[in-house]
Amino acid sequence: MTQGLRVQNLTKYYGDYKALDDVSFAIEGGQFVTLLGPSGCGKTTLLRVIAGFLECDQGEVYFGDKLINDVPPNKRDAAMCFQSYALFPNKNVYENIRFGLRMRKVPPEEHKERVEEAMAMVNLTGLGERRPYELSGGQQQRVALARCIVVRPQLLLFDEPLSNLDAKLREKVRVEIREVQKKLGITAIYVTHDQAEALAISDQVITMSAGCIIQNAPPRDIYDRPNSRFVADFVGTANIVPCRILERTGMEYLVQSPYGELRAVDADCDLPAGAEGYLCIRPEDLLPSGKGESSNQICGAVRTAVYMGNLLDMFVDIGTEQIRASIAKDWNVTEGEAICFRVAPDKVRILGG
Amino acid sequence: MKKKKFEWGYLLLLPGLGFVALFLGAAIVMMALQSVGFLNFTGESSFSMEYWKGLFQVNFYDNLIYSLKIAVCASLICIAIVYPLSLIVKNMPWSKTWLSLLKIPMFIPALVVCLIITNVLNYNGILNAVLGGLGLIQEPLVLRNDPWGVGALATQVWKNVPFMLLIVYSSVESVRKDVLDAGRNLGAGRLRLFWEITLPLTMPSALVAVIMTFIKIFNDYTISRVMGPIYPSTLSNLMHKQAYLYNDWHTAACIGCLMMVTAVIFVSLYTWLGNRLAKQLS
Ligand SMILES: Nc1ncnc2c1ncn2[C@@H]1O[C@H](COP(=O)(O)OP(=O)(O)OP(=O)(O)O)[C@@H](O)[C@H]1O
Ligand SMILES: [Mg+2]
Repeated sequence: MTQGLRVQNLTKYYGDYKALDDVSFAIEGGQFVTLLGPSGCGKTTLLRVIAGFLECDQGEVYFGDKLINDVPPNKRDAAMCFQSYALFPNKNVYENIRFGLRMRKVPPEEHKERVEEAMAMVNLTGLGERRPYELSGGQQQRVALARCIVVRPQLLLFDEPLSNLDAKLREKVRVEIREVQKKLGITAIYVTHDQAEALAISDQVITMSAGCIIQNAPPRDIYDRPNSRFVADFVGTANIVPCRILERTGMEYLVQSPYGELRAVDADCDLPAGAEGYLCIRPEDLLPSGKGESSNQICGAVRTAVYMGNLLDMFVDIGTEQIRASIAKDWNVTEGEAICFRVAPDKVRILGG
Repeated sequence: MKKKKFEWGYLLLLPGLGFVALFLGAAIVMMALQSVGFLNFTGESSFSMEYWKGLFQVNFYDNLIYSLKIAVCASLICIAIVYPLSLIVKNMPWSKTWLSLLKIPMFIPALVVCLIITNVLNYNGILNAVLGGLGLIQEPLVLRNDPWGVGALATQVWKNVPFMLLIVYSSVESVRKDVLDAGRNLGAGRLRLFWEITLPLTMPSALVAVIMTFIKIFNDYTISRVMGPIYPSTLSNLMHKQAYLYNDWHTAACIGCLMMVTAVIFVSLYTWLGNRLAKQLS
């Protein structure tokens, strides 16, 4: 098993612009961690600091227990897959991929086998002689991927490595990356915009916004227990409306919202009675039920309903607000029809500002 | 399709084209004719290969070898200086300012350069004073008009480094940073990075720079005349001597033709090599 990574109070300025703001997290050896966040939030900057191309203005980076702030990039055992591919234009595909093996003094007799293995993994077999300019964007991206995986470093840094691949290939390569990473026990940081991808492959998801870490948790917690409006909204879809807490006993709440009075059970919330906050309900947690048949109901009139194949996606007017619900595909609803949903109290989440 | 009307605008090209035709085309043809005995200024004009045969007796080889030697050595020394210099300047703060400072020698006339270098290399110049002061030499070294051509070499390097820097630097600078980062990231040290990535990617322009400098030095007159050995000298000097000292314009024309041919050969060579490399690297 490889060493973990620890990052402490990283701050990075570009001129006056604060691209990283006091970023701290730890990754255990062999973990697969995803960095998730909107464009421009500092994901690439963070990877570049970890890889050693950028010096941070404050903070420390540790591989295992070793402080590596002053270790040059070529001496850090971390391989990075660049967002811009950054292939060597003067070398063919085979030599591009082999480069890291040569630099790391891997015995030459192993090169061919390892390069070919890596090429097969990303569906590049047979393209070894091509030069980067003779490849499509997706193929270049896969060369970049193979080039860093082939060296089997302590730490793999992926900067949106699959953004240019079609859905099928993306899924295949994603699974393979994960398998290699598990098999070799490499610690990996994986940057992506795609929240479904993040939830699907990570042990841990770090959500970022404007240079700060907002939440760092396993995928299930990120989705089910978002700690902020930002995370709830960014990861998956969520109905988020302002609410006021009417009563609180322990972790049980009664809240007033545009969706009506609802009960909620939320262990992470620390808002007192009387406070204002936001209420968050996932579309798939809304279950159709007859009016008055159960408690904790939300009722309204169907505005639109779209049949998605695997489910029925609908928007329902509730007073001046709307709520989005994803229900079983067998339901038949007509637009304008009155409908009620029940929602389990532990699926209603209350978030601060 | 519309019938093309005569474009009067083409007439504007006439002065320029006429100039080129007169001074380039006609002059070259005249030189070629002169080299085989026509267009004699003083005596009778008639076809003769005398001058070409005679050419190879007037110390031609000594001067040719000297010209080649000084051109090859100086261009190689220049390129060896220019690469590290480019890398250093590129990684320095204020690199633009440094670059413009380094360009200055390009605008200094060759004779002035000779004077400057003379002050350093002269019998009682700075270098000899320093070396003598340090006790490293007993007698001052002869570094100007010396048989080895050290003075000429030093002057050529001084004068040509900026020109080469201009070409090589812009190509070194254009190597993408993320490509270099990727190399570093995969474990290459700075030297390996240069050898594996920067050098191959900048090779075409370096080649262009070397060949252009080579031709410039090969054809040089002034610096060799002032700083170089008394004998041999460059072909230009030989040509000058033949024409103005011995009034032998025909032999001078032969030398001129040879120098032109050499230049054409080298230009074609670098065009060909450059294209090949560019195709390989693009
Ligand atoms: N060299 C630079 N100089 C100045 N500002 C920069 C520089 N590089 C990045 N930035 C700024 O820093 C912020 C973070 O950039 P970064 O590339 O890390 O974003 P990102 O999260 O990787 O975005 P994306 O998902 O679009 O790749 C951006 O607002 C960007 O404009
Ligand atoms: Mg980025």
